[in-house]
Parts: sequence; structure tokens; C-alpha cells
Amino acid sequence: MTKISPQFAEDLKQYGEDTALECFNCGTCVAICPLIDGSFPRKLIRYVQIGAKDRILLNRNELWKCLHCGLCSESCPRGADPGGILLSLKRYAVASWRKS
Amino acid sequence: MFDPKDIIENIADNVRVTHNPFGLNKEGFNTWWKEVDVPATGDALLFTGLMYQLVPYIKAATGYLEKYEDKPMAKYLKYGKFIPKTVANMGLQKIASQDEKLKTATTLGNMVKILKASDVSFFYDHDLDEYSGVLLYDLGDQEGFENHARFVAKKLQSAGIKKLITVDPHTTYALKVLYPKITGISFEVQTWFEVADLAGKAEHGEITLHDPCFYGRYLEVSDAPRAALNKAGVNCTEINNNGSFTNCCGGPAESVSPKLADEVGLRRVAELQATGKPIVALCPICMVNLEKCGADVVDLSSVLVDAI
Ligand code: SF4
Ligand code: SF4
Repeated sequence: MTKISPQFAEDLKQYGEDTALECFNCGTCVAICPLIDGSFPRKLIRYVQIGAKDRILLNRNELWKCLHCGLCSESCPRGADPGGILLSLKRYAVASWRKS
Repeated sequence: MFDPKDIIENIADNVRVTHNPFGLNKEGFNTWWKEVDVPATGDALLFTGLMYQLVPYIKAATGYLEKYEDKPMAKYLKYGKFIPKTVANMGLQKIASQDEKLKTATTLGNMVKILKASDVSFFYDHDLDEYSGVLLYDLGDQEGFENHARFVAKKLQSAGIKKLITVDPHTTYALKVLYPKITGISFEVQTWFEVADLAGKAEHGEITLHDPCFYGRYLEVSDAPRAALNKAGVNCTEINNNGSFTNCCGGPAESVSPKLADEVGLRRVAELQATGKPIVALCPICMVNLEKCGADVVDLSSVLVDAI
């Protein structure tokens, strides 16, 4: 079962990004992302919103599919920065394995 | 896909020890300037960030990765970390193609010719030219990137450098946007095509430009290469996904998944090829991936140099 942690979006600020709570899940970023890969990157933004840290770390490899191309951030109608959030999650994952 | 942890820790170790992502000896791979008549004094330092020089090694390493992606052998890659640097270095040195090294020297040599013909006051010092560390930033090793950025920024500052002319989008973004925030040290940074000023008649009449993500979106300088091309008598046939809405070449996925890089790259190549015009790139990473996906691509410098 996924542990919910509403504090996580706040915690992620130390890794650089604080726009996840702006996202209203419209899916524009999914439609425009050149990866054409299921619900990437919106799914990960949602995980940040609900604080599903364990799911993010369990599937951490998929974070690195992101090319950091920025097209999603250019297109987000809410001014969220999905590409930046993904970069922060990469930093969070790197910090997690270095701590362990 | 490879385990990003193995790849990142490998690259981080290499940057820490040798200041470049492949663990190479700089004197061994940054040799282009020996063949080129480049000024030793001037206002701005030509700062290549060594990206073009790393292309032969990126191609060689990608060839290896491609062979083992999703195969059981992939797990041995993690032991790459423990291979003594000199052995890893010799391995890559051997398989990096001589033709690719020549191509790098020609591309950077063309940029030098264009800058000279544009009366730009610049110089090159191979000792001051360093890798920017930007791959660590992109991969999420912020600590490794920050340490490296401080090393490079302090080195340039100690040498009294104020102005930089850069040659690729990743290095430009690192030096112009990231370094001031991280190191507190700022330089006046311009790309080579922003300072180029050539009026003439280049051989290519019409081309299609592939805007790199960092120039198109992050740095918003897409107008500059078009202006330089127009001045040299070259028109751009535009595609829909250009400028700030450019599509990625797929190259950034190369280090963790050559397969994914191909998927994205093939889609981009189809968009670019639709115009039927020669495809022009402004970034060594774009160049490598678009070519790998079957496109004929020329560097912007080789188009502009004709106008001299
Ligand atoms: S485009 Fe913006 S608002 Fe829409 S799902 Fe993506 S991050 Fe959320
Ligand atoms: S930055 Fe990442 S998630 Fe956003 S469009 Fe590019 S590849 Fe997709």
C-alpha cells in the first residue's frame, strides 16, 4: 500500500522545485512529451502531490527517461514546471541512494 | 535501460578525478587547436567546454552501451567504476574514430575562421578550456555539478577572464545561467553565432534548422542563427516544431538508454526531413543522435564558413 505524505511537495523544495501543487492534472504535458509514454510525466507530478515517495523511489529508473527538454514546462497551462520537477526528483533519488 | 545509478556514479567519479565525464586525459583529446591558427590574445576566451572534442568518445561509448542494453551483461557495467582510470581511458582512446576527431577539428576550426572574418576579438587557451559539468546537472547529481562548477569558475576568475564565447548550447546554459547562481561568479557569455557577422553568399541556398532545446527554450536565442544565416545568403525552411517549441533530438537519453534516444531521434528526423532541405545542427549532441537516426546533418559552422 502506498503511504501518502502531503508534506513531500514541500520537502522537494530543497531539491529545487516548488511548482508541483500548481498542477491540475490536465495532461497537456503527457500529450506533448516526446517520449509518448503512458502518463509520463503527469503521473509523477501526481505522486509528488500526494507524497507517494515509495512509488517514486521504487520506480526511480523511469525518472531518467526524461530528456530534460523542457517542452512540457513551456506548454503547461498552470505555469507548473514538470521538467523541473522531474529534475528535482532525480536529485532526490540520487540523494536517497547516496544516503543509504 | 541501464541502471542510472551505475552510470551516474561512474560519470561523477570521472568528473571528480579527471574533470571530464569519460575519465580521459585532457591533453590526449583536446588537440584540435594544434592544427588551427587561433589567436593567443584577445578580449573574449573561446570556451568550447570540450563537448565537440568528446564526440568521438560519446560515439564509441554509445556503441558499447547499445550492444549491452537490456542484456544480462549490463549489470557488469557497475564495475566500470573500479576499472583504473588509465585502462578505461586507453580503451576509449583506441575505439574513438580518427575520422570523428578530424571532424571535430574541422568544426571548431571553421568557427575560428568565422570569428576571425567577423573581426571578433577573441583568443584560445587550451589550459583554461574545461568541461562544464553540465551532464551531472542534467542527470541530477547536483552536488557533483556544483563542486565542478566552482572548480571551473574559480579557474577562469583567477585567470582574469570576463568574457566567454561558447560553441554549444549545454555549455552556454551552464556558464550563462547556472554558474552565476551556484558559484556567484558571472561571465559575459555569448555564443559564437551571436557574435559572428558575415555578409556574403554561402553555398547552401536553403536549409532546415534543428533548434536545440537549450538554445530554443532555455536560452531563447533561436533568432540569432537564423539572422546569421540570412546575412550569409541562406534561407531557413521552417518546420512547425521549432524555436521555443522545438522537439528534442533524443540525445540526452544516450547515456542511460540508447534505445530511447533512437525512438525520440527517429521522430525528430522525420519532422526535419519533411522539408527536403539539408538539415543543420548547432550542437554536438544533436548532431550525434540525428546522424545515428539516419539523417544527413551539417554543423552551422560549415554552412557559414562558405560565406567568407
Ligand atoms: S501540463 Fe501542467 S497542469 Fe497539466 S498535467 Fe502537466 S504539469 Fe499538470
Ligand atoms: S522535460 Fe521530460 S517530461 Fe517534459 S516533455 Fe521533455 S522529456 Fe517529457
